[in-house]
Amino acid sequence: MFKRMINRQVIKNRLSKILALVEKNVKLKLRFKFALFISFITPIISILMPVIIFGQFFEFNPQFGPWNRNNFLIFTFIAYNINLLKGIIAEFPTQLRMEKFWKTLPALLIGPFNRYYLLFGIFFSHLVVISVPFIFFFVIGFIYYPISFFTVIAILGTFFLIALIFSGLGLIMGVFAISKENFWKFLSFILNLIFWASCITYPFEFFPGLIQDIINLNPLYYIFDFIRLIWIENNFIVTLTTHSLHFYILILLAIVIPLIGVYIFNKIYKKYGIVGY
Amino acid sequence: MTQKIIETFDLTKDYKLKNGKSITALNKVNISIKEGEIFGLLGPNGAGKTTLISILTTLLQPTSGYAIIDGYNLMKNPNQAKARISLMLESDMLYYRITGYDNLKFFCKIYGVSNYKEKINKIAKEFGLEKWLNQYVENFSTGMKMKLAFCRTLLLERSIIFLDEPTVGLDVNTVSFITKRIKDINKTVFLSSHNMNVIEKLCDRIAFINQGEILKIGTQEYIKNLMRKEINIDIEIPKNKNKLKSELEKHNFINNIVDKNNFLTISLKKRENFKDLFSILQNYEVTRFIERESSLEDLFLEII
Repeated sequence: MFKRMINRQVIKNRLSKILALVEKNVKLKLRFKFALFISFITPIISILMPVIIFGQFFEFNPQFGPWNRNNFLIFTFIAYNINLLKGIIAEFPTQLRMEKFWKTLPALLIGPFNRYYLLFGIFFSHLVVISVPFIFFFVIGFIYYPISFFTVIAILGTFFLIALIFSGLGLIMGVFAISKENFWKFLSFILNLIFWASCITYPFEFFPGLIQDIINLNPLYYIFDFIRLIWIENNFIVTLTTHSLHFYILILLAIVIPLIGVYIFNKIYKKYGIVGY
Repeated sequence: MTQKIIETFDLTKDYKLKNGKSITALNKVNISIKEGEIFGLLGPNGAGKTTLISILTTLLQPTSGYAIIDGYNLMKNPNQAKARISLMLESDMLYYRITGYDNLKFFCKIYGVSNYKEKINKIAKEFGLEKWLNQYVENFSTGMKMKLAFCRTLLLERSIIFLDEPTVGLDVNTVSFITKRIKDINKTVFLSSHNMNVIEKLCDRIAFINQGEILKIGTQEYIKNLMRKEINIDIEIPKNKNKLKSELEKHNFINNIVDKNNFLTISLKKRENFKDLFSILQNYEVTRFIERESSLEDLFLEII
């Protein structure tokens, strides 16, 4: 088994399939370029209000938690990029529903094709598609609040792991979108609640005590907090040692969520197939 | 053409309905198909054709029973079975928002087809699609989409090809083109269709399925022998058709009566029974009387 895994030909073959999916997905996305452009602008709306509120807020209060006039834009730029990545979650149901509409999924699933290809195919194609606005906001953040090369790598690595977590969630949403639509909507609602209590666009310190207690139970909050702390502390080792729980949660979710995603996809797809033609 | 390449053993599939009850889509289906054979599955809508194909292509799990594809148990070794099959469903299964070429290239890469560029260009030329290959599939006509889907099925280089209603909605020319291509495939083909002509022209063996059960199965010759025993007569009768039908139904020399518009199609057991039939018909105003050879359609209507 191990020999097979490290077999160069097998790896090449698998990569070739994932790349084929990426290429196809990117081409499908680029078919309607204006719609794609709109999808880049939309997350800006979600960070406009916090930018205005923060701007006014620091007029009266120079420091709120770790955030102040000098670094609050980093908070919102990271929020924008997280929102871009969060698009992966919606991308899975969208793509799988398109595949359902065209009935192309059976043609894939009867082939030498496993669900990890589907996961990584949509994952990488989304990264390719959002790369331009993502890099744009990342560079603006870098100019506004410069960080070391090592911190840049750590932040990009963390973003990558966050995207992987979102892909796992997306795959779960995707299979329910084609198999159990009611449950998909219910899950979407739950997920919205979880994201609302994860402090993507507003800092933890802004929320009242009771909500803070709820946020403290939300693993996503620790992940988003971790990436911001890496940036503003600009010393990954210090952030890692002072916030090791955040790091462990990140690694755990980045491994477990995609595995759960593939497992649930297999179970649900086998049990229900595609429902609702 | 000796080795059995597809075998099913008491294959059963139940679907749960909204009211909690279940419906049996396939009921203990046992079939076997030899390598290189073109096998036709005939049945009305909802007979279980697509369910059977979906199970044999690993898209559905049976409730009970099992199937063997080229020596591999479909339930235990689905990946080995998958490596031998390709599928074309009633729908074209294509990505409409990318070009025809990108569709074929994508599936070739997923299925690991080597030298796909040459193969795509060659097959596109054979199918008369070369000028359209770089256009979005959304601009293709229905016939062109089906041709492209068929190109994809052939390009994947699998030994067993499942075709579910490959000629639905196509014009006569395209049906004739696809029929000819299927005949020339030289692989094992499992074909389901409503189109009797296609089945009759193509298939080495035919199975009739209805309500999830295989009713008759055999070679074209066997099926034709079943039909030869009968004499089919179409009678046009504008008035008192129902009265004649009721009267004919009382006689045991008549095998079957099919009521269609102004016509009654009657199957006589023996040629000697003509005399008895005429004695009944002389009391009715018959405007046309046509004796014809039995077709697959006659048998289909009789069986179903």
